[in-house]
Amino acid sequence: MTRPPASLPPAASGPGDDPPDEDDALAAEYVLGVLAAPEREAVTRRLRDDPALRMRVADWEARLAPLNAAYAAVAPPDLLPRIEARLFGRTRQRRGLRWWMGAAAGLALGGAVATALLLALPFAPVSPPGPVQGVATLGATLATEDGTLSFAVAYVPQTGTLAVSRGSGSAAAAGRDYELWRIGADGVPVSLGLLRDTTEQRTVSGLSEGIVLAVSLEPAGGSPGPAPTGPVLAASPLTPR
Amino acid sequence: MTAQDDIDGLLARVAAQDRRAFRSLYAAAAPKLFGVLMRMLRDRTEAEDALQDVFTRIWLQAGRFDPGRGRAMSWLVTVARNQAIDRLRTRPRAPHDGDDAVAALADPAPGPETRLEAEGAARRIAACLGELETDRAGAVQGAYLQGLSYQDLADRYGVPLNTMRTWLRRSLMKLKDCLAR
Repeated sequence: MTRPPASLPPAASGPGDDPPDEDDALAAEYVLGVLAAPEREAVTRRLRDDPALRMRVADWEARLAPLNAAYAAVAPPDLLPRIEARLFGRTRQRRGLRWWMGAAAGLALGGAVATALLLALPFAPVSPPGPVQGVATLGATLATEDGTLSFAVAYVPQTGTLAVSRGSGSAAAAGRDYELWRIGADGVPVSLGLLRDTTEQRTVSGLSEGIVLAVSLEPAGGSPGPAPTGPVLAASPLTPR
Repeated sequence: MTAQDDIDGLLARVAAQDRRAFRSLYAAAAPKLFGVLMRMLRDRTEAEDALQDVFTRIWLQAGRFDPGRGRAMSWLVTVARNQAIDRLRTRPRAPHDGDDAVAALADPAPGPETRLEAEGAARRIAACLGELETDRAGAVQGAYLQGLSYQDLADRYGVPLNTMRTWLRRSLMKLKDCLAR
């Protein structure tokens, strides 16, 4: 169904001239890039939930793509090291997945160190953030050997929502921070940020079953480098809930 | 296997988290994408910054590319153009000079991988643009290639914003009809 766009003066009609469909015109403007910031943002938001608009945008992208031939190539600097550092982190020593599991489980010493650095609190049973009804959820429980510190993690891949709640133990001592890491199959850790509050929620993309989450104890502000510098207190893979 | 197939194949492997393919994709596609960013952002430092964002997005979103829907290179250029336009729209810029306003479609240095395969489609769109008045064709091309905003275009052509909007929308619909013939 077509209707004339509300904001434009009536178009003079010529042979075969139909009043343009508003969304089709909007999609064309979006692809061309002419929309001002607020209108562009509005379309970006609509695209998330509007498959019909997404299709129109895709059609216009295809229609105008032949114009790309006019872009001349320009030799860029080699930015790969920086891009990879941002995406994958940098470790001097390549550690396999098993090392990370062992580092946490076998760290009786680490556990003792952690306990010495924490305020001792009685162990409290922790119920992980509940799975969203009917929506695939992954979870993990990250706990130290002696259980004095534990985090319950829930992740909804569909939305990228990651919820972490500290079930036992307290916030890191002054001058320290807990840092959460993801470790993929290649063993390279990527920081998911600091865990300061009792519950933390953030949006993270790309976590899936089998990816290991780990908590390390870092100087305040987190690890100064792309990998943990402090003891790994707990680690566990994400599993379906 | 043509270079074009290479990029399609590489992107598919990047979607499967193949880091070596990601490096090869950078080697193959970064010059074109950097060219897009330089053309639109006109600032080398910003273009380098944007290129990092573009490849970060490519790694994270390669799985969204649907091979049935078109060429991988077109998708990559879309990622680059969107990144550039987002940056342009959040940083107010002075209107550009008119040097590109009626730039010919022919690229002075087209990459060998795009020349042969793009020729047919590029000829078709050039022909359809040729059916529009020169000003209108220039506005469409200028907007697309440089990321000009409605305000930029209105300033360049010295017309009110709403007039530019009417012109452009009508031109785009004529282009669509012509391409569908």
